[in-house]
Amino acid sequence: MLPAPLALIAEITHRCPLHCVYCSNPLQLTAAASELSTEDWIRVVQQAGKLGVLHLHLSGGEPLARIDLTELVSAAHAAGLYTNLITSGIGLSPSRLDCLVKAGLDHIQLSFQGSRENDADDIAGTRAHALKTELAPLIRKSGVAFTLNFVVHRKNLDHLEEIISFAESLQPDRLEIANVQYYGWGLRNRDALLPTRQQVEDSMRVIAAAEQKLAGRMRIDAVPPDYYARFPKPCMGGWGQRLMLIDPSGQALPCHAAGVIPGLQFDSVREHPLQWIWRESPAFQKFRGETWMPEPCRSCDRRGEDFGGCRCQAFLLTGDATATDPVCSLAPAHQLVDAELLRVNSSTGSTPASLDAPRDQLRESPSKSPDWWSYRPHPG
Amino acid sequence: MSRPLDTSLPRLATGCRWSGEGESRMLLFPEGALRVRDTGHAILQRCDGQHTFQQIVEQLQALYQADAAKIREDVAGFLDRLQQKRVVDF
Repeated sequence: MLPAPLALIAEITHRCPLHCVYCSNPLQLTAAASELSTEDWIRVVQQAGKLGVLHLHLSGGEPLARIDLTELVSAAHAAGLYTNLITSGIGLSPSRLDCLVKAGLDHIQLSFQGSRENDADDIAGTRAHALKTELAPLIRKSGVAFTLNFVVHRKNLDHLEEIISFAESLQPDRLEIANVQYYGWGLRNRDALLPTRQQVEDSMRVIAAAEQKLAGRMRIDAVPPDYYARFPKPCMGGWGQRLMLIDPSGQALPCHAAGVIPGLQFDSVREHPLQWIWRESPAFQKFRGETWMPEPCRSCDRRGEDFGGCRCQAFLLTGDATATDPVCSLAPAHQLVDAELLRVNSSTGSTPASLDAPRDQLRESPSKSPDWWSYRPHPG
Repeated sequence: MSRPLDTSLPRLATGCRWSGEGESRMLLFPEGALRVRDTGHAILQRCDGQHTFQQIVEQLQALYQADAAKIREDVAGFLDRLQQKRVVDF
């Protein structure tokens, strides 16, 4: 039997005061007028609770742009969901934070664009850094779990030690250091964002040292750039296996980027219950399981671990959504990734050979225990 | 490694909470969940910030007929691992 999704990612709006150069939202955004109503979202979170979903991630855009956010948190809490707010912090006043916490919010993930104000504001296209820094102590005191998220790339990866020290000063429970993933705006701006091999190797050492120093105080989750990995990431824990995303207009997608794959029809929560979509929607079944897999995935020992990598990345790089993710060193189209790495590394003279499975060293692999589940609510 | 002291007060970390009942009882925390059964459950349900590590160990030694030193070691190791993951604090 198909298990329930672990988490529902609710992109409640595409509206956002930031304009980050690596935004994971689709290039074609949903207009405010087409957003689901409060009643629609409340029905969706109630259905999620009944379906057995554990976590709700309120995301966007900037979820605080919705004035009914507290109401949605309340409904999610009542439905038994563990509720996370993924935010830039813009729009989070002390009183609004207090309302959200009282409504049952469990976790806030505050994103930063770097540790240096000018650079960070450049990335976001707006002056947001100082405000985020002021918010951190309020969130720390609020009693919810507190994660800081830093997106890293070629322009700021050299300051990683400084970023970690800055993060430490804000006292989160958890720090996520996520390399840009190359979808949407990230792919458009890849030439400026893809780090060098030297930067990636240095960052692995910095993170390993910080993990040791901060053990027990601040957990670090690092997402390396998959272009440098030997094997692909187990994107979203497998297509239609663990996560479900609802976009602002109510379309249900297996991941953030799935809209780029031609020919997929996404069913809407306006027309179908969540449970039906999870089990029956053709888009969720499209790459579920192994029957769609080409060689070398089909006979690969790792197919149950990484599921052939990311379908969206396969499409974006090769034009074929059923191809082996080109970041895999075994992929027939791996030369596409190698060519990019050669370009970015040519000035440094280092070879583009894959790192020795950096994600195996960098990232805590999910425990083999069937009782321990962890996942990322983002690509990667 | 930071093992709990006898006087430590183990408790669920900020943002970590119980969900569900009986067989389906789980611990929820940011981006993860843990189904806790048997001994894990026996330990974690005592991690309420009221019981000291020493008290928890004594209660488990009374509950399980295993070697007392081994029980102490197992509980310390279990709590240490979960603290690294920011699921418990002590």
